[in-house]
Amino acid sequence: MTPTQWTGGCQCGAVRYELLERPTGAHICHCRMCQKAFGNFFAALVGVPRDKFKLTRGAISNFKSSADVQRGFCRDCGTPLTFDDLTENRISVSIGSLDQHSEYKPQAQYGLESREPWFNEIVALPAHTSGEDASGVTAYAKRLPHFAATNRQHPDHDTDEWPITRK
Amino acid sequence: MSKRWTGGCQCGAVRYAFSEKPTDACICHCRMCQKQFGNFFGSFAGAHKDKFRVTRGTFSHFKSSDGAERYFCKDCGTPLGMKNLSKEFIFVSIGSLDRHGEFRPENQYGAEARETWLVEVIGTSCSVTGGYPGDDAARLQMIKSTNLQHPDHDTESWPPR
Repeated sequence: MTPTQWTGGCQCGAVRYELLERPTGAHICHCRMCQKAFGNFFAALVGVPRDKFKLTRGAISNFKSSADVQRGFCRDCGTPLTFDDLTENRISVSIGSLDQHSEYKPQAQYGLESREPWFNEIVALPAHTSGEDASGVTAYAKRLPHFAATNRQHPDHDTDEWPITRK
Repeated sequence: MSKRWTGGCQCGAVRYAFSEKPTDACICHCRMCQKQFGNFFGSFAGAHKDKFRVTRGTFSHFKSSDGAERYFCKDCGTPLGMKNLSKEFIFVSIGSLDRHGEFRPENQYGAEARETWLVEVIGTSCSVTGGYPGDDAARLQMIKSTNLQHPDHDTESWPPR
């Protein structure tokens, strides 16, 4: 992997992609179509011209959510991967699937009509690191090393082979 | 429409129901949840597994570690939830719940992986659907008339057409 690549993929690693230039137009969309496709409060997307998107491993499965739009995902683990308006020369990828996801701070929000009314309160909620909750360190914390050792999530960079064979 | 706590995936191949209101609404920023959801965090609410059942189709799963299974629809990819394998509690994704607006999260987890700029997203401008560059009324009508998303309630049959 070279640091100038823009790569990403699904949770299990069956699907990997590369963008041939830095994606732009980072945004989130609260419309109910995006909410449901992503199982969440919004979708987070950033895009490139279609010819700058290259699949490097596996295949993207698509659900055509309406006549002109297909939404791509991994059939092996479900990660939402793409938003593809077939009438445009542009394709968007889910920011969370990008290896360098933190570089894509959204610049705009869409779908205001279905934004959850309490959305703006989310960031002020009590926040806990993994293994902690409101009562402090949980019993679950002791098991985190075991989960880390058995983690089957693909790492945030390209790999030579898949599935990854664990030592 | 049923009074049950129901939900399902975007295409409608998978539907589920709870016999009591899910609790423990939360979001989780850990990189495992981020990647499952292709997003900045996953959002969850759940109940004891005895209060939960799949009413149509199948929950496909990916065992992301020995600690957890993560659920999705194989036909459209919607992230449907997760279960800590050592617990009897099953979480569904809030966005897949028909009455998603009733599940305001109470806690955030995985704070170590929270995107540093998340708070700034709230301050960005927000337009209604149709406000995206290139959208117009005709396009919105086309999307509405060809919408293949399952509605936010149970249906007698599937696929709808």
